[in-house]
Amino acid sequence: MPDPGKHQSSFIRRGGWLLVALPLWVLLYVVLHRVAEWVAFGVFKLTPKSHLGEATAFFFYDAPKVLLLLTLIVFIVTFLQSFVSSTRVRNALARRRAGLGNALASLFGIITPFCSCSAVPLFIGFLRAGVPLGVTFSFLVAAPMINEVALGMLFAMFGWKIALLYAGTGVTIAFAAGLVLGHMNMERHLESWVQDALNAPSLGESEEEQITLPMRIDQAIQGVKDIVGKVWPYILVGILVGACIHGYVPKEFMARLLGKETWYSVPLAVLVGVPLYSNAAGVMPIVEALLGKGAALGSTLAFMMAVIGLSLPETIILRKVMRPRLIAAFVGVVALGILLVGYLFNAIL
Amino acid sequence: MLIEVFGPGCAKCETLLKHAKHAIDQSGGDHQVVKISDYAVMAARGILSTPALAVDGQLKFQGKVLSSGEILTLLKG
Repeated sequence: MPDPGKHQSSFIRRGGWLLVALPLWVLLYVVLHRVAEWVAFGVFKLTPKSHLGEATAFFFYDAPKVLLLLTLIVFIVTFLQSFVSSTRVRNALARRRAGLGNALASLFGIITPFCSCSAVPLFIGFLRAGVPLGVTFSFLVAAPMINEVALGMLFAMFGWKIALLYAGTGVTIAFAAGLVLGHMNMERHLESWVQDALNAPSLGESEEEQITLPMRIDQAIQGVKDIVGKVWPYILVGILVGACIHGYVPKEFMARLLGKETWYSVPLAVLVGVPLYSNAAGVMPIVEALLGKGAALGSTLAFMMAVIGLSLPETIILRKVMRPRLIAAFVGVVALGILLVGYLFNAIL
Repeated sequence: MLIEVFGPGCAKCETLLKHAKHAIDQSGGDHQVVKISDYAVMAARGILSTPALAVDGQLKFQGKVLSSGEILTLLKG
C-alpha cells in the first residue's frame, strides 16, 4: 500500500506548491502600485508631481515590480531550458552549410542557456563536431545577445512588439556576423592549443542521464536563487539610475541626446553600453526610463544590446581560444551590426 | 567510485565541487573527487557546457549544478 505522506510530498515536489505561489504572486503584483504611492506620498509625505516625489514613487513601484517579474520569468525560463541541451544543438548544427546553418544557429541561440564560463568548451566542442567556424560564431553571438530573461522582461514590461523586435534584431545580427566571419577564413587565427585540441582523439563520449521533472523544478528554483540572488544589487542600481532619469532629467535633454534626429546617438549608446557590464535584468529599468523620456527606440535597443551582448568578461574568456585579430574581428562585426540596427530602427520607426 | 567535476573555475563549478565533496562525506563510502579544468580534456570528453560531472568515467550531467542529494543518488545507483 502506498504511503499517503510520501505521495503528498511527491506532489509538492512535482510543483504542487505552485498552486499557492502563483496566486500569491499575482496578488502582490496587483497591489504594488498603490503600496508604492502610499509609501512615497503617505509615509514619506512627499508632494505628488514634485521631482523627489515622482522619483521616490518610481523607485518603490519599480523595485518590487522588476524583482517580482524577474523571479517568475527566471523560473519559467530555467524550467524550459532544462529541455534544451547543448549536445543536441551541436548535433543539429554539425556539418551544416553556411546560410541555413547560420540561421539555425542564431535561432538556437535564443533558447539555449548560456553562461560565459561555458563559452570555451562550447566553442571547441562545436568545431570538433564539424560545425563550421562561421556557424559557431552565429551561435556564440546569438546566445548571450538574445538573453531569454531579457526577452521575458521586455515582453512583460513593454509588450510583444518590442520583445519581438529585440529577438528579431539579435537573430539578424548573429546570422550576418557569423556569415561575414565565416567568409573571412579565420581558422588559422585560433590559438595553437585549440587547433591541437580540435584534432585530438576523443576519449569517449557517453550518453547523459535523463533529467526528471522534480530535477527540472529544482533546477528552476536554483536558477531563481542564483540569478535573482546575484542580480538584485544591479537591479536596485539600475532602478535608482532610472528613477533619477525619471524624476530629474528633462524630457528635451534625453530626446536631444538619444533622439532620432541626433546622428551620434547610436554610436554614443554603444560606446556607453559596451564597458557597462550589467545584467540583462539590471538594464531594464534604465531602458524603461530612457524610452519614457523620449530616447529613440533604435538608440535604446543599441544601448541594451551593447550592454548585454558585447561584454568585456566574455571577450576576455574568448581570448583564450582566439588570437587578437580574430577577437577584434568578432567584436568589430558585432558592434557594427548593433550600430546598423540602431540606425535602421531610428530611420523606420 | 571516482567523481570528476569539469569546469574552468567559475562560481558554479566550485559549487558543484563542494556538493560532490559533501555527497561523498555523507555516503561514508570509499569515493574520490577530482576537479578537471583543462579545456583540452573537456573537449576530448565531449563536454560542451560546464559544470559537468562524470562518475567512473561516465559523463552524467553537464551544464547543471547537481545538489549533493542528487550526487548521493548517483553514488548509490
